[in-house]
Amino acid sequence: MLSDDLAGFARTIVHGESPAFRVDEGYAKYSAQVAVEVYRNNYRGNLHDALAGAYPVVKQLVGDDFFRFMARKFITQYVSRDANLHRYGAELAEWIAAFEPAKQLAYLPDVARLEWACHCAYFAHDGVVLNLNELEKVAPADYGNLVLHRHPSCHVLHSDYPIVALWQAHQPGASEDFRIDLDSGPVDALVSRNNDVVAVTELTPADAAWLLKIQAGTTLGEATAETLDHHPDFDLLRALQMLVAQNVFAGFTLGATS
Amino acid sequence: MEMQKMLSLAMGGLLALSLAGTASATDKPKVEMEKCFGIAKAGMNDCSSNKSAHSCAGQATKNNDPMDFVAVPKGTCDKIAGGMLKSM
Repeated sequence: MLSDDLAGFARTIVHGESPAFRVDEGYAKYSAQVAVEVYRNNYRGNLHDALAGAYPVVKQLVGDDFFRFMARKFITQYVSRDANLHRYGAELAEWIAAFEPAKQLAYLPDVARLEWACHCAYFAHDGVVLNLNELEKVAPADYGNLVLHRHPSCHVLHSDYPIVALWQAHQPGASEDFRIDLDSGPVDALVSRNNDVVAVTELTPADAAWLLKIQAGTTLGEATAETLDHHPDFDLLRALQMLVAQNVFAGFTLGATS
Repeated sequence: MEMQKMLSLAMGGLLALSLAGTASATDKPKVEMEKCFGIAKAGMNDCSSNKSAHSCAGQATKNNDPMDFVAVPKGTCDKIAGGMLKSM
C-alpha cells in the first residue's frame, strides 16, 4: 500500500529506522542508504534553519554548536505539521525548560517565549489600525464603555528575568559590551509591530496590568478603575499615547451601557 | 478624581495630541519596504537568503554531524551576571 510505504518512509527520515519499504536499487549514483541519509540531512537542516530563523537570540546566547545540538534533539520530538516552516517551533520554550543540558540557563525558556511572540508578531495579519478619527466621534459619556481591540501583532509577556534587556542586547547593531544582571527583578514585555518592524518594549507594572485587562475585553472604565486600585500612580493618558504609538490597538467597540 | 472626568481628560488628551501631531496611528506612513521581497527580519538579509522559509536550500550531503559531544552552551550567556544559576 502506498500509504504504508509513505508512513514507513517518514519513520525512516524522522526516526532513523532502516528503510523497510521496497527501494528501487536500479539507480547507480547513490545506494538507498546514502540517499536516505541525504534526504534526512535536508529534512533536519531545514528544520534547524527554521528554528534558527525564529530564535536568533537563543542561538546567540547558547552558541551555534549548542543550538544545533538542541535543535537536533527538538526535531526528533516535534515533526513539522504545517507546509509553512514559519509555523514550526512554537513548543521550543516549553521544551527548553525541560531540557537538562540547558537547565542552568534559567532565563532561556522565557527568552524563547519572547522570541516566538516576536516571530508571530512579524507574521501576524496586518489587521486594522485604531482609527482616531472614528474614536473622536465617540461621546465622552461613552468612554467608560469603550472596548479596545488588540492588534494581532501585540503580545504581553511576564518574566522573572530581564528578558527585554537580554533581547535588546542581541539585536543587530547592539553593543557586544553589555552588562545584564539576572537579579534585576521581574519585567513585563510588550511585543508590537509598526511598519513591519517588531519592537520589544518594557512596560511598567501598571501599564501591563491595564493592557492585560483591555486585551481580555474589559471596558476602558472598568480596566482603568481596577488598575488604579492596585497602581495608584497609573497614568492613563501617558499609557494610551505610548500604546497607540506602538500600534497595539486594532479598533474599538462600545460595550453594553451600564 | 471622578472616573468619568479622568477618562474624558485622558481621551481628550490622546485625541488632541495625536490628531494634531504627525504621529497619528491612523495616518499610516508608506511602508518603507514590501514584505518578503525586501523586508529584512532581524538577522536575515532578504528572502533569497531566508532559508528557514522554504526547503529549496539544498544540503546535498549526508549527515556527518557528530551528535555525541558533551553539550555545553558557549554563547553570550557567559557574559550575563548570575547566568549560571544552578551548578550541574
